[in-house]
Amino acid sequence: MAVADQVQRRPPAPRPQSDGRLERERLRMMMLIRRFEERTYQEYTRPGQKIGGFCHLYSGQEAIAVGTAAIFDKSKDYLINGYRCHGHSLALGMSPHAAMAELFGKATGCSHGKGGSMHLFQAEVGNNGGHGIVGGQIPLGVGMAFAQSYKKTGGVTFCFLGDGAVNQGTHNESLNLASLFKLPCIFVVENNGVAMGTQVERASAEIDLAQRGCGYGMPHYNIDGNDVDVVITELGKAKEAAARGEGPTYIVANTYRFRGHSMSDPLKYRTKEEAERAKLRDPIKLYQQRMKDNGWINDEQIEALDHQAAQEIDQATRQADADPFPAPEDRFQEILAEKYPLEK
Amino acid sequence: MPAIQFREALRAAMVEEMERDETVFLMGEEVAQYNGAYKVSEGMLEKFGPRRVLDTPISEAGFAGLGVGAACCGLRPIIEFMSWSFTLVCMDQIINNAANIRYMSGGQFKVPIVFRGGNGIAHQLGATHSHRMEAVYSRIPGLIVVAPSTPYEAKGLLKTSIRCDDPVIFLESEKMLGEMGEVPEEEYLLPLGKAKVEREGQDVTLLSYGRPLQRVVRPAVKALSNDYNIDVELIDLRTLRPLDVQTIVDSVRKTNRCVIVDEDWGYCGMGAGIIQKIQKPCFDDLDAPIEYVHSDEIPVPFSHPLEEAMMPSVDRIIAAVQEVCYK
Repeated sequence: MAVADQVQRRPPAPRPQSDGRLERERLRMMMLIRRFEERTYQEYTRPGQKIGGFCHLYSGQEAIAVGTAAIFDKSKDYLINGYRCHGHSLALGMSPHAAMAELFGKATGCSHGKGGSMHLFQAEVGNNGGHGIVGGQIPLGVGMAFAQSYKKTGGVTFCFLGDGAVNQGTHNESLNLASLFKLPCIFVVENNGVAMGTQVERASAEIDLAQRGCGYGMPHYNIDGNDVDVVITELGKAKEAAARGEGPTYIVANTYRFRGHSMSDPLKYRTKEEAERAKLRDPIKLYQQRMKDNGWINDEQIEALDHQAAQEIDQATRQADADPFPAPEDRFQEILAEKYPLEK
Repeated sequence: MPAIQFREALRAAMVEEMERDETVFLMGEEVAQYNGAYKVSEGMLEKFGPRRVLDTPISEAGFAGLGVGAACCGLRPIIEFMSWSFTLVCMDQIINNAANIRYMSGGQFKVPIVFRGGNGIAHQLGATHSHRMEAVYSRIPGLIVVAPSTPYEAKGLLKTSIRCDDPVIFLESEKMLGEMGEVPEEEYLLPLGKAKVEREGQDVTLLSYGRPLQRVVRPAVKALSNDYNIDVELIDLRTLRPLDVQTIVDSVRKTNRCVIVDEDWGYCGMGAGIIQKIQKPCFDDLDAPIEYVHSDEIPVPFSHPLEEAMMPSVDRIIAAVQEVCYK
């Protein structure tokens, strides 16, 4: 591991005065995401498996999605993502029910059961999707930022990718285009240290992934992706720069995923010690401690939040389970926007 | 009606639609300052400025995907490829993203984008630059595939394609850009998904589209009529997906014979797909098996005589028509 440990971290910025209300909401969301993902794991692995296909869990990386949501303007910003997209979708306001129903392939899912775990979309809040092909979403994100720039909406695009995607050709093409056209695009590399089972040091000749953003004429740096306050501060600065017309920024948020790549991953590429060490930097634990230190929350309230989150996920899961599958004839719907022959 | 070049017809369609709709823009390699690698976009930078006519680096996946992302967010991009062969390096953006996003999002997005450029064999460009991509893209649910065969078709179909809310694969040919044809001065649009019966006839239905239609099929039809006394019904397919099966079936039921001509490879080629669509509805009407005239199953050779030899010719078409007419 340890790319996340080896690279230099920026110190957390001083926090503004607060009564802890926003912070409690962020903590709640991080805990909700964790509960959602752990329930997803159970539903996938228990007998009578309700979830099929690939399913990539976000546990351990919650601070990045929740930090992004904290500075995200749903009226004009966009977020686009790879396939590890449950956390970001919940953080931007997708109901756990719409997400779980999609994982179950139900008609009530956010994509009516046509997208699945890797393809959660919620257009009305600017959640422009989870995308299944590694790196395939990066040019799309640049195009979304292009639309914002073209229409002068003042919005920015948060284009998420993983440490595996930096080795795709689209990474190079997209970074160059975004900078060339000075687009309001913030590239956020969620570096959890391993692309499926291949560690960064076995896939990237330069292990400091921020350096992979070098050569495009844009700021590129590492941040601690496990610290929600750091995420808010650093992505916030990049967002302000983009909105001022200064173009894109490349941020590597170093983190760790607690679960395997997808569901059938025995995690043989990790040592127990490494996993134990990572748990010490669990973003939720870190944030709980900071909030307690600031007097914004106590153990009892944390337990109540967790209980609430578990109940909410349980209810969403039960409802998704009871919901109907799409009717067979629905498979022909939503392919094309027009009727043909098309006369305009 | 004034006669204009194919490239002028394409340009006129883009200019008119950009004047009409602020969200339409043109992007691609050499489309702006160089005035177009094949001069299709000549003068457009001057007219619309660098916000709406944009040169790109040589990054097909990057700018094709950029277009798809922009289309998802309310713009109507026209993405020019110097050659459809180059889309071999960006098919993920077209097939996985442009064609699938609407479906995978449960209809939350539409993707109104036109990808256009030269398709097929364009005189001694060698195997890498001579791909016929129509069968590849016509297989994909979520895409519309259009192949104009005259300047008139080019303008009317491109205008409708730009207004279409679905992703359109618009297949031109470098070798046709200088072809002249009559185009009305007043505005007109042509429907997508509708074939055109270009010549009515009684003896045999001939199906083709795009470049081969212009290069060898029309001359063959003329020769068949003048020298062989065979009355051909010629159909310009115009849209390859969705295919206008009804117009084809109606014609074959009348003539009882069918020949398909394209420049694709035969196996899994465009014509093979069309045969699959019509053989069952027309089985009882056919007096002969459907003939398919296509290119030889070889990489496209560089040497001019070899390249010519691999493609459908007037003679091959005449022979196929004679075969189905038992003449």
